[in-house]
Amino acid sequence: MEQQNELSFDTLVIGGGIAGSEAAINLANLDYKVILVEKDLSLGGKMIHLSKVFPTLDCSACITTPKVSETIRHPNITIYTYSEVKNIVKVSDKKFTATLVKKPRYVNEDLCTGCQECEDKCPVVVKDQYQYDLVGRKAVYVPFSIANPRVVNIDIENCILCGICEKVCPVDAIDFTQEAVEIPLTVKSVIIATGFELFDPTQILRYGFGKFKNVVTAMQMERQLVPTRPYNSVLRPKDGKMPDNIAYILCTGSRDETVGNPICSQICCMYSVKQAQLLLGALPMADVSIYCMDIRAFGKGFCEFYQQSIGMGVEFHKGKVAKVTEKENGNLILRYENIENGKITEVEHDLVVLSIGVLPNPEAKLLFNSPVIESDEFNYIKQTDELVCPPQTNIEGVYVAGTSSGPMDIPDSILSAGAASACSANYIRN
Amino acid sequence: MSKVNTALASELQYYGAKEFSACYNCGNCTAICSLASENNEFPRKMIRLSTLGLENEIESSLEPWLCYYCGECSSTCPRQAEPGELMMSLRRYLTARYDWTGLSRRFYTSEIWELGAIFLLAAFILVLFIFFHGPMTTELTAEGGVKLNTFAPWKTIEIGDWIMAAFLGFFLLSNIFNMYLKVMVRNNNVKIPIKLYFTTLWDLAFNFATQWEFSKSDNKTKIAGKQFNISPYWIMHWLLMSSYVLMLILIMVFLGWFQTDIIYEWWHPQRILGYYATFGLMAGLIYFFYNRIKKEQESGKHSHLSDWVFIVLLALTTISGILVHFFRIYGLPYSTYYMYVFHLMVLFPMLMIEVPFSKWSHLAYRPFAIYFAKVKSAAEKMNSKN
Repeated sequence: MEQQNELSFDTLVIGGGIAGSEAAINLANLDYKVILVEKDLSLGGKMIHLSKVFPTLDCSACITTPKVSETIRHPNITIYTYSEVKNIVKVSDKKFTATLVKKPRYVNEDLCTGCQECEDKCPVVVKDQYQYDLVGRKAVYVPFSIANPRVVNIDIENCILCGICEKVCPVDAIDFTQEAVEIPLTVKSVIIATGFELFDPTQILRYGFGKFKNVVTAMQMERQLVPTRPYNSVLRPKDGKMPDNIAYILCTGSRDETVGNPICSQICCMYSVKQAQLLLGALPMADVSIYCMDIRAFGKGFCEFYQQSIGMGVEFHKGKVAKVTEKENGNLILRYENIENGKITEVEHDLVVLSIGVLPNPEAKLLFNSPVIESDEFNYIKQTDELVCPPQTNIEGVYVAGTSSGPMDIPDSILSAGAASACSANYIRN
Repeated sequence: MSKVNTALASELQYYGAKEFSACYNCGNCTAICSLASENNEFPRKMIRLSTLGLENEIESSLEPWLCYYCGECSSTCPRQAEPGELMMSLRRYLTARYDWTGLSRRFYTSEIWELGAIFLLAAFILVLFIFFHGPMTTELTAEGGVKLNTFAPWKTIEIGDWIMAAFLGFFLLSNIFNMYLKVMVRNNNVKIPIKLYFTTLWDLAFNFATQWEFSKSDNKTKIAGKQFNISPYWIMHWLLMSSYVLMLILIMVFLGWFQTDIIYEWWHPQRILGYYATFGLMAGLIYFFYNRIKKEQESGKHSHLSDWVFIVLLALTTISGILVHFFRIYGLPYSTYYMYVFHLMVLFPMLMIEVPFSKWSHLAYRPFAIYFAKVKSAAEKMNSKN
């Protein structure tokens, strides 16, 4: 592993999603030098993959991409994508040291123009994680069409080392000799914006995700509703039929102690309502039913948004779906107790969407060496003074932004990023 | 009008139900249950009734008896409210409610009463033997066996048997009648033609003998981590039940033939039947102990004192019975006599407490509940036709 000279910044922002970008821009605008480290290949986090935001139905990518561009172009922000930090140590007041690990893309980022000539010729096809496995991608690939930086990356795990990409690259950007680089880092404050993970529904065997092809996650449905969607339509995976009777199962992996996540994910009700509305637009003949214990429409305009979906014809049924079984034609039978009348009910749908919940990102805790960062009982970063200074963690100078501290929606994430940047600026200045 | 008992939730704690108030009414338990059906939707209904303290509605419910605790509801409950354990506790509670003497409630809710009664009845048997036992001869029969019938003549024991049987029968039958009143007479809006009680009688007999409903319960039973498709729980239960009934018939009806001083060949029906029964009992008991100690299945995770009393007493009875048999045929007089007394000291309290007042009463309540449910649904069908 290569070693490089030490880098020094005012603030280290870990995570380049919407919260991390917002925090970085705020600080950079105050003339602080910020280093933003993103583990993934592109900035934008989860939000850049979404279709619309609730309850306004604004285009999600149209809000994210300008913010990402602003982050990238800001003179006070230095960005490391496909990089991680580790061994964060608080040496003294306003002095943290850390190690930045820049993972090899096997592509020279400065040379690559993103022309995708290599991607065109690459013989390997694997599942596309950015389309949530709905379609395939190549082993050398631009992560997704609105990725930033828009450069290719070689998925070395799946690469067969045929060398075609190297031959076709017009700028000779392919470089198989790249290695991980470790760069020592000194900063004055740290903002954790590592975001959340999505619940893996294969844990709930009785919903059949992974076994029944027409059971998909809400994120897979979200990808089918975005402008850059893979099929350019909404299709069910098993036979490519346009679904006309879609079911949403809420609280899949939220408010469920059996999967170790007893709390509400705060976004699933509303994103399901949003998707239902979008589906009624995309598939005018389709029926959409939402199976829920209750609808938690607690934010500004949320309840009206929910009422609007009822007005549009979305059906809401009270009762947690206990079991999904597959029929031969790929349709699915949902069994639940209708809480309104206490009757066991079985209904048939041709596509089931699991409204998967939000889980803490377990990696956030592992970044810190000394002192260790504390987490709360649900494994999110602990907010030690939630009412007086919400971004405050147990380490002074380390602040938390966005869903690292708990489930929240996009506006709340941006708000909390603002608070984290303010606290960080305050800490450095005093 | 419904009567609300605000203390019901805390009362049910004594019967074992501790978590059910965590329920947030999602209905997962009812929808996942393999035995819940239209007209018999449970367990959420029972959780609701328990949370609200509606004792009369609970008292007239048959649902607790239709549940065989496969545990699917408990293992998938998002609130870990243990619906399966509530159903189990309600069976204990109902046993206490059906019992008009009030003893059952004492036994279930007080460890002192339960254990005290066992020791008291055991002491009673001991005292009877101390004063009335026959000569303890060390002289052996021609075949080298112990003369057990000299120490405890089967005719005398049989008289005791019948007195006890009359006692058990009286309490159990009167409790069943009480159950009938609560379930079929009070709190019942459906008019039930008498004829139906006879036409569905077969269900009572069939379920009593086979526990067929139990075999339908979705029992994802694991033994040592291995999954089975059929319910070994039901098989083991049936093995134990059939052995127990066989043994009961042998000691109640054929005691003179069963408790003999003659040593038959090993293939003789008297020995074969005895061996089958002891094998069945031991196999069932080992399974039940394993279940409660290992806690792999939901049904074994929570053990009430009455559950342990049931299997411990049955195990002691079985083991002492086996020992009596071998001590006798191998000619060990004193061991035989003492073990025989011990055998009865366990057997007597077990039957006296368990059958009418505690866990074993389910042998009657379960088939009767299925029977009553059948009668009710048949009556509803007839009424809807008219």
